[in-house]
Amino acid sequence: MHKIMPHRHPFCCVVPPYILERVSERAGRHPAEAAARTLTQDASLRVTRTVQSVAAQTAPKTADQKPGARVSARRAARPAVRINRTIYTTRNTQNLPGDVARTEASAASGDVAVDEAYDGLGSTFDFFSQIFERNSIDNNGLPLKASVHYGTDYGNAFWNGQQMVFGDGDGVIFNRFTGSLDIIGHELTHGVTMSEVHLLPIFQPGALGESVSDVFGSLIKQWTLNQDAQSADWLIGAELFTENVNGVALRSMKDPGNAYDDPVLGKDPQPRHMRDYVHTINDFGGVHINCSIPNLAFYLLATSLGGFAWERAGRIWYETVTDDRMWHHMTFARFAQLTLSNAVRLYGNGSEETEAVQDAWEQVGIVVD
Amino acid sequence: MRIKFEEQGGVAYFPGLSRPFTLGDDDLSEEEAGELKRLADAARFFDLPSSVGSPARGAADYKQYTLTIDGEGESRTVRIVEPVTDADLAALLKFVRTKVYAARARERSPRE
Repeated sequence: MHKIMPHRHPFCCVVPPYILERVSERAGRHPAEAAARTLTQDASLRVTRTVQSVAAQTAPKTADQKPGARVSARRAARPAVRINRTIYTTRNTQNLPGDVARTEASAASGDVAVDEAYDGLGSTFDFFSQIFERNSIDNNGLPLKASVHYGTDYGNAFWNGQQMVFGDGDGVIFNRFTGSLDIIGHELTHGVTMSEVHLLPIFQPGALGESVSDVFGSLIKQWTLNQDAQSADWLIGAELFTENVNGVALRSMKDPGNAYDDPVLGKDPQPRHMRDYVHTINDFGGVHINCSIPNLAFYLLATSLGGFAWERAGRIWYETVTDDRMWHHMTFARFAQLTLSNAVRLYGNGSEETEAVQDAWEQVGIVVD
Repeated sequence: MRIKFEEQGGVAYFPGLSRPFTLGDDDLSEEEAGELKRLADAARFFDLPSSVGSPARGAADYKQYTLTIDGEGESRTVRIVEPVTDADLAALLKFVRTKVYAARARERSPRE
């Protein structure tokens, strides 16, 4: 068995958790939870949302309750769950954050990028709050900030360590980046991961961080659309290519290597298996290339278990990301071993979930036991 | 004047966009070459350090650019990490990116 040292980087615990999913095995199917979710999607009820909902009551142990969980004074006295969004516009400059364009509970601005960012931040906040009882990115009510209209013809979105940033795209290859909910979720999840463990942003730890962002970005979209694992598209950024591009998305979690094949973009280089792991110094050591391996493992786990992916597969991943044994040098193999450890803790040895975790990792070339 | 431009980072990796792109004299009109020289001078490009800007701790998916300009008797390569807050450098980078993106778009044209 792979030995995992409970070592953490001294900077890792600065802020509490926020990203993944802690839906109980039953919560997603519980009628009262569904009702609570519908109600909280009403913007008029968004302010001062108490998340001690039925979902919380039926949810598994929280991070506070699990063995070895970090218990901070901050968490013990954390504020009520209350979303606080501010959307800025940089007016095609790179001067962040820019001018305020919309604040919490204000009416739609009429600027589609501003309003998409506002809604996407809301969906992401709601997902983590209702599924994992997480109070914003830092689990301490951090206000959410995003800047739109960044740069000129800028085809990207990024997390700058404190806020989200969206470009409008160039209109030739890329559409505006606020148009993709899973990309919004992806970027905010970087903030969540950072608050849990400062994964090195390069090579395998960096690729793992990208994968975690893809997983939760996709789950946020699936949850918002009420899609089960079989009906979800498992694509990242499916809305971002213009019609000029020969491709379906930036990445495909279910079919890596086949998201695009285009004369300008090139061919999707993502591998499906560890034997094809791409060793490169490009892309900060292949962080957006090799993230496909844990992405595919998650997809295989979620579709093997069936139902809503955020319930069991997502919960195992969330519990792993928030596990004390995560550290900044995390490799795929160590992460995989931790997912198995959490599956055993949550569902027991020999359970369907535990066996599915082992099988999913084995299919991508990582053996855990 | 010759420009070499390389873009790295971002929320996804695209082999075609990551390869260095070179613009030579044939790619710029006389007027454009003059504009490039004016922008490079305004940004003091040939006096810049080899690296401008650095990512904040925890930042992810940001872009960085490596720009080389070979001028008359002078050459400089600078790595630029976004956000680019210096207005003159931002203007230079915008000019180069616009020309590179246009050249890439022309690469697509024969296939359409």
